[in-house]
Amino acid sequence: MVGNKAAATACKLARVQVASAFPITPQTTITQYLSEMHANAEWDFDFVNVEGELSSQVVVQGASRIGARTFTCTSGPGLLYMHHPMQTTGSGRLPVVMAVVHRSYKGMQPDHSDLMSQEWTGWGHWYVEHAQEVLDSILMAYKVAEDPRIRIPIAVGYDGYVLSYTAEPVEIPDQALVDEWLPPNKPIPEVLPDKVNKATFGRGFGGEADPQVPWKVHHDAILKIEEVHQEVMDSFEKTFGRRYGNAMIEPYMMDDVDVAIIAMGTIAGTCKAAVEKMQKEGKKVGLIKLRSYIPFPVKDFQEWSKKLDAIAVVDRSICPGKGGPVYQRLRETLYDMKKRPLTLQFHAGLGGKEVRVRDFELIGDKTLKAVKSKKVEEPVTWV
Amino acid sequence: MSERITRAQIPMEEMGITPGSACQGCGAALAARLAFKALGPNVIRHGVPCCPDTVTKTPQIGTVFEGGGALLTGTSRGLKAIGREDVLAVGFFGDGGTYDIGFQGLSAAAERNENILVITKDNEAYMNTGNQRSGATPKYATTSTNPVGPKSRGKEQPKKNIPFIFAAHYVPYVATASVAFPEDLIAKVNYAKTITGFRIIIIQSPCPVGWRFEPEKTIEIARAGVQAGIWPLFEIQNGHDFKLNYKPKELKPVTEYLKPQARFRHMTEAEIAEVQEDTTSKWQSLIQSDEMGKVLI
Repeated sequence: MVGNKAAATACKLARVQVASAFPITPQTTITQYLSEMHANAEWDFDFVNVEGELSSQVVVQGASRIGARTFTCTSGPGLLYMHHPMQTTGSGRLPVVMAVVHRSYKGMQPDHSDLMSQEWTGWGHWYVEHAQEVLDSILMAYKVAEDPRIRIPIAVGYDGYVLSYTAEPVEIPDQALVDEWLPPNKPIPEVLPDKVNKATFGRGFGGEADPQVPWKVHHDAILKIEEVHQEVMDSFEKTFGRRYGNAMIEPYMMDDVDVAIIAMGTIAGTCKAAVEKMQKEGKKVGLIKLRSYIPFPVKDFQEWSKKLDAIAVVDRSICPGKGGPVYQRLRETLYDMKKRPLTLQFHAGLGGKEVRVRDFELIGDKTLKAVKSKKVEEPVTWV
Repeated sequence: MSERITRAQIPMEEMGITPGSACQGCGAALAARLAFKALGPNVIRHGVPCCPDTVTKTPQIGTVFEGGGALLTGTSRGLKAIGREDVLAVGFFGDGGTYDIGFQGLSAAAERNENILVITKDNEAYMNTGNQRSGATPKYATTSTNPVGPKSRGKEQPKKNIPFIFAAHYVPYVATASVAFPEDLIAKVNYAKTITGFRIIIIQSPCPVGWRFEPEKTIEIARAGVQAGIWPLFEIQNGHDFKLNYKPKELKPVTEYLKPQARFRHMTEAEIAEVQEDTTSKWQSLIQSDEMGKVLI
């Protein structure tokens, strides 16, 4: 099953009630799968073919406010076009789940610039590695987003082409198990005229005398995702027998290593192969796959930093003139630690540039060299 | 088509709870008061950025300026998903949210024939931000972005013919209304409530501040607009069935509408004559359409 089919299948398993999307490469086939599933009445849902991504985001906003379980999906430029209403979905505390099939905004190929550029919109941002993880993460995203403690929309990002259009074996969970594990969504608050006397919705955190309060409440709600996401990962494993690290990160071969490489998305899979090879050669390099960028796994990285001599951050995006977002976020996370590992920034896979096992070996070697010399001579490397 | 009602049939119950922060003589506040009386309690009101008019008892949902059509779509589909199609999704937007920034999403919702009702309070400029030109601003009107000067005679282009543009989407119901004709306005809302699919009612709502006239003259000016044929009252069903709702034997001269408004004060006799000729010619077409009972689009 290709990644996009896994996403559409997750919608079916979650019994999404209203989906809306506008086709854009490499997300397009999700809209086609959903249209087919709708035409064939595979389950009772509504699919709205809109005239642009902005409208698809607002359609799910409206349907989610009423209490329906909703889904939308897009890629690169389409995500940028959604930027404005993404803010109101976030501020409205609407548990929308969106698949972001990564596409660079300099070209058609994947990198993480699309979703990274949306970090201020007030959503949870997850990055996943393979088609099974796409399916499982969308199911978990509903469980987390709809939790009354959270009520925050979640974007599940996965790389275009490499994942969207590439077939992998995917185990499809049993529908009855999913139904039991993921009960129907409920609207919070109620909006129907016979259930409320008078109300205004749209700014979910509004109404306070202090105009800063909505920002603080929104921020705190997103931070809370960490705890709920971990609970949901435990219950997912209990029900379906699979798990991805502690939900926030997925450490791979991290026993007794000096160096960790942080990578996200499909290239984390490539990094796994590189780490296996390097450890066979006696190089003490492991992988920490970052799954949740927002909220950021602060505690996890602070704990890991105590055991590591150096961390190599592979950013598949860059804020021009500012730098790699994961590298910067990691460095501020480590600032208060008594002992800080060395940190190195690597830009790889931007604009869809291929990232090979050999590239990760170079990243590992360069980081080991810094450990040996106890200093970082070249902090930023374009792989 | 709507069925004529008398003033006594206008519902007594007020749906407005506070005057909002509307200006004195606000036509849009009156449009909201009348429209929501007719809509009754079983609606969810949708808003996008616009002038504050009348706060209503109905639940209200808001979104981004350009998102009106899509938000109504989402609500309508959501209501269907939860089995509550008895609740009506109503948009109450300004001319910016209908003619301009909101047009793409509304046009798409019309093309999909979404089960929604859009009511536009058309005050012919972006009044919430202080009177800047919109696609609804008529020719020669001055706004803060169409000031009169050696190089400018006010707005150069005619007002967008939005009712006919929506009619050209072949939607079930398009109507114009005026705050000076409350029975007609309410009859149209009443009718719109009885049908399904995409419905839009555009209410001309004079703005004393932007159009620059004394606040007590709102109704007079709205009435003069209809009587002069500048803002004709009509209904179009399914893009072809046509009915003109107000047909005076003779139109009043456009000067009765233009002269009391300082936004047209600079107009020359020749410019007024041009507006008169244009209005008369369009009126002739509407009379012909009314006689045939259809528009040819």
